Amino acid sequence: MATTASISISSDITESVPFSVNASMTMYQAGTTLDLEETTGLAQRTFSGNTTQVTLIDVSATAVTAAAGGHKVYIRNTGTDKTKGFKVFLADATDDIEEIGTLYGQDWMLMPWLATDANEDIMVQPSSSEKMTIEYAVFHQ
Amino acid sequence: MATTTATLSLSSDMLSSPISISASSTLMKAGVTEGLELIEMGRGTIAETDGSKTAEFGLPTALGADKAAKLFLVNKATDPTYYIDIDLHDTNIGRLYAGDWMFIPWGMNDTASELVIEAEPSGATCPYEFVLLQEPQTLEAHS
Repeated sequence: MATTASISISSDITESVPFSVNASMTMYQAGTTLDLEETTGLAQRTFSGNTTQVTLIDVSATAVTAAAGGHKVYIRNTGTDKTKGFKVFLADATDDIEEIGTLYGQDWMLMPWLATDANEDIMVQPSSSEKMTIEYAVFHQ
Repeated sequence: MATTTATLSLSSDMLSSPISISASSTLMKAGVTEGLELIEMGRGTIAETDGSKTAEFGLPTALGADKAAKLFLVNKATDPTYYIDIDLHDTNIGRLYAGDWMFIPWGMNDTASELVIEAEPSGATCPYEFVLLQEPQTLEAHS
Protein backbone atom coordinates (compact mmCIF):
# COMPACT_ATOMS: atom_id res chain seq x y z
CA MET A 1 0.00 0.00 0.00
CA ALA A 2 2.68 2.45 -0.96
CA THR A 3 2.18 6.17 -1.18
CA THR A 4 4.93 7.96 -3.03
CA ALA A 5 5.54 11.59 -3.90
CA SER A 6 8.06 13.10 -6.28
CA ILE A 7 8.95 16.74 -6.73
CA SER A 8 10.73 18.39 -9.61
CA ILE A 9 11.74 22.04 -9.49
CA SER A 10 13.38 23.73 -12.43
CA SER A 11 14.31 27.35 -12.87
CA ASP A 12 16.09 29.72 -15.17
CA ILE A 13 16.44 32.43 -12.54
CA THR A 14 20.16 32.15 -13.12
CA GLU A 15 20.47 31.65 -16.86
CA SER A 16 24.16 30.83 -16.68
CA VAL A 17 23.75 28.28 -13.90
CA PRO A 18 21.12 25.65 -14.71
CA PHE A 19 19.04 24.79 -11.68
CA SER A 20 16.90 21.76 -10.99
CA VAL A 21 15.88 19.69 -8.01
CA ASN A 22 14.40 16.23 -8.04
CA ALA A 23 13.38 14.24 -4.98
CA SER A 24 11.12 11.33 -4.21
CA MET A 25 9.82 9.85 -1.02
CA THR A 26 7.73 6.95 0.16
CA MET A 27 5.41 7.91 2.99
CA TYR A 28 6.10 5.71 5.98
CA GLN A 29 4.69 5.41 9.45
CA ALA A 30 6.78 7.32 11.95
CA GLY A 31 10.21 5.85 12.57
CA THR A 32 9.63 2.76 10.45
CA THR A 33 9.64 1.58 6.87
CA LEU A 34 5.99 0.53 7.11
CA ASP A 35 3.72 2.25 4.64
CA LEU A 36 1.09 4.73 5.74
CA GLU A 37 -2.26 2.98 5.66
CA GLU A 38 -4.94 5.65 5.91
CA THR A 39 -6.06 8.66 3.93
CA THR A 40 -8.91 11.12 3.76
CA GLY A 41 -8.82 10.70 0.02
CA LEU A 42 -8.71 13.68 -2.26
CA ALA A 43 -11.25 16.31 -1.20
CA GLN A 44 -12.30 19.69 -2.49
CA ARG A 45 -13.86 22.82 -1.00
CA THR A 46 -15.16 25.86 -2.78
CA PHE A 47 -15.44 29.24 -1.11
CA SER A 48 -17.56 32.14 -2.22
CA GLY A 49 -18.65 35.34 -0.57
CA ASN A 50 -16.21 35.40 2.30
CA THR A 51 -12.60 36.22 3.01
CA THR A 52 -12.45 35.00 6.59
CA GLN A 53 -10.32 32.21 8.04
CA VAL A 54 -11.99 28.83 8.02
CA THR A 55 -10.84 25.44 9.21
CA LEU A 56 -9.95 23.25 6.27
CA ILE A 57 -8.57 20.22 8.10
CA ASP A 58 -9.71 19.70 11.67
CA VAL A 59 -7.45 17.50 13.77
CA SER A 60 -10.39 16.20 15.81
CA ALA A 61 -12.39 15.34 12.70
CA THR A 62 -9.55 13.48 11.04
CA ALA A 63 -8.84 10.00 12.31
CA VAL A 64 -5.14 10.63 12.77
CA THR A 65 -3.11 9.11 15.56
CA ALA A 66 -2.17 12.27 17.45
CA ALA A 67 1.49 13.20 17.30
CA ALA A 68 2.38 9.92 15.61
CA GLY A 69 4.51 11.98 13.27
CA GLY A 70 4.13 10.29 9.92
CA HIS A 71 1.21 12.31 8.59
CA LYS A 72 1.43 14.32 5.37
CA VAL A 73 -0.88 17.02 4.02
CA TYR A 74 -1.32 18.01 0.39
CA ILE A 75 -3.12 21.25 -0.49
CA ARG A 76 -3.55 22.94 -3.86
CA ASN A 77 -5.25 26.11 -5.04
CA THR A 78 -6.95 24.78 -8.14
CA GLY A 79 -7.68 28.23 -9.54
CA THR A 80 -5.58 29.65 -12.33
CA ASP A 81 -5.63 33.28 -11.22
CA LYS A 82 -2.21 34.23 -9.86
CA THR A 83 -3.67 37.37 -8.29
CA LYS A 84 -5.87 35.38 -5.90
CA GLY A 85 -4.59 33.12 -3.16
CA PHE A 86 -5.37 31.15 -0.07
CA LYS A 87 -3.39 32.01 3.03
CA VAL A 88 -2.69 28.79 4.92
CA PHE A 89 -2.44 28.76 8.71
CA LEU A 90 -1.82 26.36 11.54
CA ALA A 91 -4.10 26.48 14.62
CA ASP A 92 -7.68 27.09 15.55
CA ALA A 93 -9.47 30.39 15.84
CA THR A 94 -9.05 30.78 19.58
CA ASP A 95 -5.37 30.02 19.93
CA ASP A 96 -2.18 31.38 18.53
CA ILE A 97 -2.37 31.29 14.74
CA GLU A 98 0.75 30.87 12.62
CA GLU A 99 0.65 31.80 8.95
CA ILE A 100 2.53 29.32 6.79
CA GLY A 101 2.19 31.15 3.49
CA THR A 102 -0.03 31.82 0.50
CA LEU A 103 -1.02 29.45 -2.29
CA TYR A 104 -1.72 31.45 -5.44
CA GLY A 105 -3.45 29.98 -8.48
CA GLN A 106 -2.14 26.47 -9.22
CA ASP A 107 0.28 26.60 -6.27
CA TRP A 108 0.50 23.44 -4.20
CA MET A 109 2.16 22.33 -0.99
CA LEU A 110 3.07 19.04 0.66
CA MET A 111 4.16 19.06 4.27
CA PRO A 112 4.40 16.86 7.32
CA TRP A 113 1.66 17.36 9.91
CA LEU A 114 2.01 16.55 13.59
CA ALA A 115 -1.73 16.87 14.28
CA THR A 116 -1.36 16.82 18.04
CA ASP A 117 -4.41 18.90 18.89
CA ALA A 118 -6.55 21.81 17.74
CA ASN A 119 -3.47 24.03 17.79
CA GLU A 120 -2.52 22.25 14.60
CA ASP A 121 -5.79 22.50 12.74
CA ILE A 122 -5.10 23.70 9.23
CA MET A 123 -6.98 26.85 8.28
CA VAL A 124 -7.25 28.76 5.04
CA GLN A 125 -8.32 32.27 4.13
CA PRO A 126 -9.30 33.15 0.56
CA SER A 127 -8.09 36.54 -0.64
CA SER A 128 -11.21 37.19 -2.66
CA SER A 129 -14.94 36.84 -2.07
CA GLU A 130 -15.21 35.51 -5.60
CA LYS A 131 -15.48 31.76 -6.09
CA MET A 132 -12.23 30.03 -5.17
CA THR A 133 -11.54 26.31 -4.88
CA ILE A 134 -8.96 24.32 -2.99
CA GLU A 135 -8.23 20.59 -3.01
CA TYR A 136 -6.52 18.66 -0.26
CA ALA A 137 -5.68 15.25 1.07
CA VAL A 138 -4.24 13.84 4.27
CA PHE A 139 -2.16 10.68 4.31
CA HIS A 140 -1.84 9.42 7.85
CA GLN A 141 -1.26 6.65 10.32
CA MET B 1 10.90 36.82 -16.94
CA ALA B 2 12.49 34.10 -14.94
CA THR B 3 10.46 30.92 -14.95
CA THR B 4 10.49 28.55 -12.01
CA THR B 5 8.26 25.52 -12.08
CA ALA B 6 7.44 23.10 -9.28
CA THR B 7 5.82 19.81 -10.23
CA LEU B 8 4.37 17.14 -7.97
CA SER B 9 3.56 13.55 -8.81
CA LEU B 10 1.84 11.69 -5.99
CA SER B 11 0.37 8.23 -6.12
CA SER B 12 -1.21 5.98 -3.55
CA ASP B 13 -2.75 2.55 -3.79
CA MET B 14 -4.32 2.63 -0.32
CA LEU B 15 -7.79 2.76 -1.79
CA SER B 16 -9.50 0.42 -4.21
CA SER B 17 -9.44 3.36 -6.62
CA PRO B 18 -5.83 4.52 -6.54
CA ILE B 19 -5.08 8.18 -5.90
CA SER B 20 -2.99 9.90 -8.50
CA ILE B 21 -2.19 13.58 -8.19
CA SER B 22 -0.27 15.63 -10.70
CA ALA B 23 0.21 19.29 -9.93
CA SER B 24 2.44 21.88 -11.50
CA SER B 25 2.80 25.54 -10.75
CA THR B 26 4.88 28.35 -12.14
CA LEU B 27 6.08 30.22 -9.09
CA MET B 28 5.26 33.92 -9.19
CA LYS B 29 5.70 36.97 -7.05
CA ALA B 30 2.73 37.67 -4.80
CA GLY B 31 -0.43 38.48 -6.69
CA VAL B 32 1.20 39.08 -10.08
CA THR B 33 2.45 37.09 -13.05
CA GLU B 34 6.11 37.92 -12.67
CA GLY B 35 8.45 35.09 -11.75
CA LEU B 36 10.44 34.74 -8.55
CA GLU B 37 13.99 36.02 -8.91
CA LEU B 38 16.04 34.81 -5.98
CA ILE B 39 17.34 31.35 -5.09
CA GLU B 40 19.09 30.41 -1.88
CA MET B 41 20.18 26.82 -1.51
CA GLY B 42 22.50 24.74 0.55
CA ARG B 43 23.00 21.88 2.93
CA GLY B 44 23.56 21.48 6.62
CA THR B 45 23.59 18.98 9.42
CA ILE B 46 21.79 19.17 12.72
CA ALA B 47 22.36 16.84 15.65
CA GLU B 48 20.08 16.12 18.55
CA THR B 49 22.71 17.61 20.83
CA ASP B 50 22.40 20.93 19.00
CA GLY B 51 18.94 21.44 20.47
CA SER B 52 16.38 23.67 18.79
CA LYS B 53 17.82 26.07 16.21
CA THR B 54 16.51 28.66 13.82
CA ALA B 55 17.62 27.19 10.51
CA GLU B 56 19.94 29.19 8.27
CA PHE B 57 17.12 29.20 5.72
CA GLY B 58 14.58 29.90 8.45
CA LEU B 59 15.32 33.52 9.24
CA PRO B 60 12.65 35.78 7.84
CA THR B 61 14.32 38.36 5.67
CA ALA B 62 13.50 41.93 4.86
CA LEU B 63 11.14 40.57 2.25
CA GLY B 64 8.19 42.01 4.13
CA ALA B 65 4.59 41.00 4.55
CA ASP B 66 2.51 39.38 1.84
CA LYS B 67 5.40 38.50 -0.44
CA ALA B 68 5.83 35.14 -2.13
CA ALA B 69 8.42 32.57 -1.16
CA LYS B 70 8.61 28.80 -1.44
CA LEU B 71 10.72 26.44 0.62
CA PHE B 72 11.90 22.93 -0.25
CA LEU B 73 13.51 20.95 2.58
CA VAL B 74 14.63 17.32 2.63
CA ASN B 75 15.97 15.19 5.47
CA LYS B 76 18.90 13.24 4.02
CA ALA B 77 19.32 10.93 7.02
CA THR B 78 19.11 7.22 6.27
CA ASP B 79 18.14 5.86 9.67
CA PRO B 80 14.32 5.68 9.51
CA THR B 81 14.01 6.59 13.18
CA TYR B 82 15.82 9.93 12.74
CA TYR B 83 13.65 12.96 12.11
CA ILE B 84 13.78 16.73 11.92
CA ASP B 85 11.13 18.43 14.01
CA ILE B 86 9.99 21.61 12.30
CA ASP B 87 8.40 24.52 14.10
CA LEU B 88 6.90 27.64 12.60
CA HIS B 89 7.90 29.99 15.41
CA ASP B 90 6.30 28.21 18.40
CA THR B 91 3.88 25.92 16.56
CA ASN B 92 5.00 22.49 15.45
CA ILE B 93 4.36 21.81 11.78
CA GLY B 94 5.47 18.22 11.81
CA ARG B 95 8.36 15.82 11.43
CA LEU B 96 10.47 15.06 8.39
CA TYR B 97 11.66 11.49 8.81
CA ALA B 98 14.66 10.15 6.92
CA GLY B 99 14.14 10.69 3.22
CA ASP B 100 11.06 12.87 3.67
CA TRP B 101 10.79 16.23 1.94
CA MET B 102 8.39 19.12 2.12
CA PHE B 103 7.49 22.00 -0.17
CA ILE B 104 5.55 24.92 1.28
CA PRO B 105 4.74 28.53 0.62
CA TRP B 106 6.40 30.64 3.28
CA GLY B 107 5.04 33.95 4.53
CA MET B 108 8.33 35.30 5.92
CA ASN B 109 6.35 38.22 7.31
CA ASP B 110 8.32 38.83 10.48
CA THR B 111 10.24 37.08 13.25
CA ALA B 112 7.10 35.11 14.13
CA SER B 113 7.58 33.43 10.75
CA GLU B 114 10.91 31.89 11.71
CA LEU B 115 11.43 28.23 10.93
CA VAL B 116 13.00 26.25 13.75
CA ILE B 117 14.49 22.79 13.37
CA GLU B 118 15.56 20.12 15.82
CA ALA B 119 16.94 16.63 15.28
CA GLU B 120 15.36 13.78 17.21
CA PRO B 121 15.47 11.29 18.92
CA SER B 122 18.45 11.12 21.26
CA GLY B 123 21.64 10.50 19.31
CA ALA B 124 20.19 11.49 15.95
CA THR B 125 22.16 13.41 13.35
CA CYS B 126 20.29 14.61 10.28
CA PRO B 127 21.92 16.03 7.16
CA TYR B 128 19.49 18.18 5.20
CA GLU B 129 19.26 20.16 1.99
CA PHE B 130 17.13 23.18 1.26
CA VAL B 131 16.11 25.49 -1.55
CA LEU B 132 14.45 28.83 -0.84
CA LEU B 133 12.87 30.61 -3.80
CA GLN B 134 11.64 34.14 -3.26
CA GLU B 135 11.04 37.62 -4.54
CA PRO B 136 14.00 39.98 -4.84
CA GLN B 137 14.84 41.89 -1.72
CA THR B 138 15.21 45.62 -1.58
CA LEU B 139 18.82 46.62 -2.00
CA GLU B 140 20.30 48.28 1.05
CA ALA B 141 22.31 51.48 1.07
CA HIS B 142 26.01 50.78 1.47
CA SER B 143 27.65 51.40 4.81
